[in-house]
Amino acid sequence: MSDMSAKNKLKIYPKSVICDDESVLIGDVTISSGCLIHPHATIHAKSGPIIVGENCLIEEYVTIVHDTGTVDLDNSGPTLVIGSNNVFEVGCTVEAAAIGERNVFECKSYVSNLVTVSNNCVIGAGCQLVDEHHLPENTVIYGKRSEQRETIEKQKSLSMQLDHLRKLLPNYHHIKKPTFDPKKPREIA
Amino acid sequence: MANIVEPSCVNYVCSCGYLNPITKLYFCRYCLKLRCGFCVCHEVDSHFCCNCLENIPSGEAKLKRNQCNKCFDCPSCQHTLSSRATTVQVPKKSDGDGSKSAATVDTKPRKMYYLTCLACRWTSRDVGIPDQVTATGQWPECEYSSATRFSMLMEHYQNVVQQEKQEKQDLWRRKAPKQHKYPNLTDRTGLTASMIRRQMGLSEKTAPKVKQSTISPSLSSDVVSELPQDIFSKEINLGNITTIKQRLSHPSVQPSTVNNLYPLNKNLSIKRSLRCRQCEHNIVKPEYNPLSVKYRIQLFASYHVPEVRLMKCGPLEAGVSTQILIKIINPTLHEMTITIMDLPTHEEESLIIEEMKKKSDKQSLGPLASLNSAFSRQASLNEEPKFVDQKVTGTIALPDSSFMLQQRDDSTEYDDDHQSSREEPKFVVWRRSNKVAVELTVNPLDCKSGDEVIVGFSMQYTYVNTATSSGTDKKEPQTHALTSRVYLRIGKIK
Repeated sequence: MSDMSAKNKLKIYPKSVICDDESVLIGDVTISSGCLIHPHATIHAKSGPIIVGENCLIEEYVTIVHDTGTVDLDNSGPTLVIGSNNVFEVGCTVEAAAIGERNVFECKSYVSNLVTVSNNCVIGAGCQLVDEHHLPENTVIYGKRSEQRETIEKQKSLSMQLDHLRKLLPNYHHIKKPTFDPKKPREIA
Repeated sequence: MANIVEPSCVNYVCSCGYLNPITKLYFCRYCLKLRCGFCVCHEVDSHFCCNCLENIPSGEAKLKRNQCNKCFDCPSCQHTLSSRATTVQVPKKSDGDGSKSAATVDTKPRKMYYLTCLACRWTSRDVGIPDQVTATGQWPECEYSSATRFSMLMEHYQNVVQQEKQEKQDLWRRKAPKQHKYPNLTDRTGLTASMIRRQMGLSEKTAPKVKQSTISPSLSSDVVSELPQDIFSKEINLGNITTIKQRLSHPSVQPSTVNNLYPLNKNLSIKRSLRCRQCEHNIVKPEYNPLSVKYRIQLFASYHVPEVRLMKCGPLEAGVSTQILIKIINPTLHEMTITIMDLPTHEEESLIIEEMKKKSDKQSLGPLASLNSAFSRQASLNEEPKFVDQKVTGTIALPDSSFMLQQRDDSTEYDDDHQSSREEPKFVVWRRSNKVAVELTVNPLDCKSGDEVIVGFSMQYTYVNTATSSGTDKKEPQTHALTSRVYLRIGKIK
């Protein structure tokens, strides 16, 4: 029965594209509209619900874990809200305690649960953020030694890429059906 | 790949006496000797930019301070910068009517380019460099305060060099008067050419003396400007301060804050050719085209000398003999006969060194060699042969006979049947095409636990030289018996 309840907890808003093949969504996960999740991605709401904001791009082998050290048994854990327009590139592992908007987590990067990420940040390819840290806006983490600098450049708009993938992915993958319709509120929730 | 990146456990003795893995050795097929990086002349063939792959002549490269003026490195993280295009709206040139309000001015899109680093997101806009109209635009050169001082110093020292050169030439001319075959008029009359010119009322032929430019030397001063009042109390933002690496990558400016980081011109790379110091033949020569990674001449040792690899080593214990398995590979297109022998004793080694010294002396005294060295750009300094700086801590029981090794044949990999018709010696464990595995017995000498066991042997092999040696008309390949000394680090005593 617990398996059923976990399944029911998954809320998928319409207009999002989530590949059903091998992608793992565990716990109370809400995917907002416009999100795009590639196959083999993992989103694990371990210590509380996860809400993924609009137009997020989650690529292959991405692991997003909400882990504050406790296991949420009675739906009372804090909610991890991931802002809109974030990009999680191939193979990154993100356990951050807070994620703002327009961030890019490049390939194979790692962000631990002691880190809070604000807006418009870039965590470079392969960079590891392990210790307690707050990334102010427009921060770039780059290089072998995970150096930090501030950028004035705004992130490019993702809409073109997302539109392209929204057309392309359903041709090759099974797509999860939306389970939540905002027009008929309180039906499932 | 592993034997290029990792420290090798099999080392060959170069003709100069240094130990090197086979991947770092060259083989001069005119001297028939192994050569290491110290035994070859390194010559710069061409300069090129590794980003735009443009070939730049050496004179131009010198003028441009060995930098490409089109490609840039990121001043923040030293990656290559790429140029990115944006479209901006620029006001159309109106026909003389300047009183139009800003809202009604017609605009047209125009492409503008700026530099950006894809690794750390640094852009040329960070430091306020205006966008350029063309992609490989004329980016403004960074000016630095000591530029004039440096150019003055450079001019002065160039003059000094020229003057010294001239003086040396004059001295040399006076010291060694030209010896002609037939004595000319001036020799007989005792008049020099310049005296005759003077008597005839002609001007001096000698080049005008280089003007001695004077520069004011730098002076040390006791007056140092005061530190700002708040230097110890003001909180600093480390994000605004450059790292040592960022400062040193731009030595002329050495910016201390990040808002002074200007794009760095990319340094040029070189293609170099290697030349044997003894016979002055080319050993490695790359193709001239920067796009090509091939060689015109490539006498790497791993193409000519049988390669020894350590396959397996039994447990190492002090005073107990053990078995090691080595693989020997024939990289050449001819059959080889290999004999494994003892390393030369100290007396034998000194004899080898004597002989090599004699040979190199003879060669450097020869008329051809001196002519060559006069023409070559780099004076050829031979590396002094020396004793091998490596003690063996174990002995090898030698195999009782020599063995054959087939030529390399790339097609044998696809053959199904591996038949060995030949009678094999006992120590040969297996054999496949040009590879053979040989079992040797090693006896560690008085070793303590934790000591490394190093054994060595001389490997004599037949080498078929297909290169036609200069001077002789012999075209048919000649067979030589060559010897390489090999040292194996087989492991540590338990």
